[in-house]
Amino acid sequence: MALEIEGVTAGYVKEVPILRDVDLTAGDGLVTVIIGPNGAGKSTLLKVICGYLQAAQGVIRHDGVSLSGLQPKDMLRHGIAYLIQGHSVFPRMSVQDNLELGAWLLGRDRRAIRQAFDDLYTRYPLLRQKRRMLAGDLSGGEQRMLELARLTMTQPKTLLLDEPSVGLMPKLVDSVYQEIARLKEHGYTILIVDQNVRKAMHIADYVYVLKLGENSHHGPRDDIEPRLNAIIREWI
Amino acid sequence: MELSILLDPFILAEVSLQGLIRGSMYGLMACGLSLIFGLMGVKNFSHGEFFMLGAYAMFFVAVIMDMPFILGIGAAAAVLFVFGVLVERTLIRTLRRRAGREWLLDAFVLTIGLMVVLQNLALLTFGSTRRGVPTLIPGGVEIGPIWLTNDRLLILVAAILIVSMLGVFIRYTRMGKAMLATGQHPEAAQTLGIDINRVYTYTFGLGAALAGIAGALLISIFPAYPTVGFHPVIKSIAAVILGGLGNVPGAIAAGVLLGLIEAYTTFFLASGWQHVITAVLVVLVLIVRPYGLFSSAKGERP
Repeated sequence: MALEIEGVTAGYVKEVPILRDVDLTAGDGLVTVIIGPNGAGKSTLLKVICGYLQAAQGVIRHDGVSLSGLQPKDMLRHGIAYLIQGHSVFPRMSVQDNLELGAWLLGRDRRAIRQAFDDLYTRYPLLRQKRRMLAGDLSGGEQRMLELARLTMTQPKTLLLDEPSVGLMPKLVDSVYQEIARLKEHGYTILIVDQNVRKAMHIADYVYVLKLGENSHHGPRDDIEPRLNAIIREWI
Repeated sequence: MELSILLDPFILAEVSLQGLIRGSMYGLMACGLSLIFGLMGVKNFSHGEFFMLGAYAMFFVAVIMDMPFILGIGAAAAVLFVFGVLVERTLIRTLRRRAGREWLLDAFVLTIGLMVVLQNLALLTFGSTRRGVPTLIPGGVEIGPIWLTNDRLLILVAAILIVSMLGVFIRYTRMGKAMLATGQHPEAAQTLGIDINRVYTYTFGLGAALAGIAGALLISIFPAYPTVGFHPVIKSIAAVILGGLGNVPGAIAAGVLLGLIEAYTTFFLASGWQHVITAVLVVLVLIVRPYGLFSSAKGERP
C-alpha cells in the first residue's frame, strides 16, 4: 500500500489534539478522497503527513518507509508531492523556470532535466506554448495546471492535493478534476482533501469521512456515494 | 556666486558624476539590504556595521599586510559572507524557528543590538582612529573637461560590475533561482525539495558580503572607524524605502538617485540640506507611493 496512516494523533498545541487516532490507507494507483465538514482536520492530516506538524502518536509509512522526523523539503525525495492549498506558482518567474524548480531534485543532471521537460511538454502542450510567460500572468486555471504539472517533474509516486479546486470559477473546476483523472491514468497514487464533495466523489475510488478529527466513515466510492446525503446531514 | 557659474554644463556634469559615484555605493549597499528584506522580511539594522567591517578588512589587507587592494575587496567579501552566514545560522534562525509570527520584530531588535555590539567591539579592538587608505590607484583620467581620480572611477566600475554579476547570479544559477522562488513563495519552494533554511542563510551572507564590498571600495572616501557605517546605512535604508521594499533593482536605482540628490543639494544649497531633502523625499514617498517609486501598487517586483 502506498500510504498508510495508523493511529495518528496530532495538534498545534499539546493539550488540544486536532486529529485523534486517525487511520487511513491510500492504495497504489487509486484516488482516495478525504471529505468532512470544516474543522474536521482534513488539511491538518496532510500537514502531518508532509512533516509540517509532527504527530504526537501514530505511524505514517510511505511504501513501507516511516516518514516520522522528516521535514517538508524531504517529502518529494521520498516520492510524495504536495499541492499546498491556494496559489503556489512563483508568479514573477517564467513557466519554464517554475517547472525547472519542480525538477530541483534532479540537481545538475542536464540530461535528466531535459528528459523531464520533454516528457512534461508532451503531456502539456499548452505549457510549452506559454513557457516564456510569467506564471503570474497565466489564467487561474492555467496556473493550477502548472502547479499540478510541476508536481510531476521528478515523477513521484504519490500526489497529495489540498483543495485542488478551491478559488477557481465553476467552469474550470471540471477541468481540474479531468486533469486529476488523467494523472491517475498515469499511475499516480492520489490523496485529495476536498470541500467540493460531489465533484471529488466522481473521481474517487475510495472515500474517507473525517469528523471532528476522527474517522467517521470510510469505504469504496460505491458504498459511500449512496449514503452521501445522510452523511452530510450528520454534519449540520 | 554668479548664476552662470552654477549652470556651467561642465561643472554640472562634474557634480552629476560625483553624485553618480556616491549613488552607486548607496545602491550597492541598498541592494544587499533589499535582498535580505525581500527574501526574509528581516530589516537589518546592522548593515552599516557590515560596511564598517568591510572597511577594516580592506585596511588590514591593503595597509597592514601591504597587499594589492583587490585582495582587500576579496577579503572583505569573504569575511562578511562568512560572518553573515554565522549571524543567520546562530541568531536569526533561532528566532525564526521559535517565535512564530512576531519573529520579524524580534529579528529587527536583534539587528539593532548587533549594531551596538559591533560598534563597541570595533571601538575596543581598533580604537577610534580613522584608518584610511589615501589612494588605491594613484592618478586619474580626463573625460573631456572632467578630471576623475582612478579611485572614484574604480568605485563606479566596480559597482556596475558587481550589480551585473549579482543579476546574472540570481537569474541564471541554481541557487539564484532558489532564492527567487523562496522570496516569492517559501512554502511552495519547500514542497519542491528546496532547503529554504539554506537559502535564507546564503541570502544573508550574500547581503552582508555586498555591504562589506561597499565598505572596502569606499575606504578612500570613508576611512574605517567604528561608526563609519551610520551615514551610508541611513542612505541605503532610504533607498530601500524609495525603491519599494524588497524591490532590488528599485533600491539600486533609488540609491543612485540619492547620490545625485546629495551632490546637487551640496552644490546648489549647502551640505546640510542633503539629509533634509532625503528625509522629506522618504516621507513624501511613504505618504503618496508607499509601495515605492519603482514598484506598482500590486506589489509586483521585477
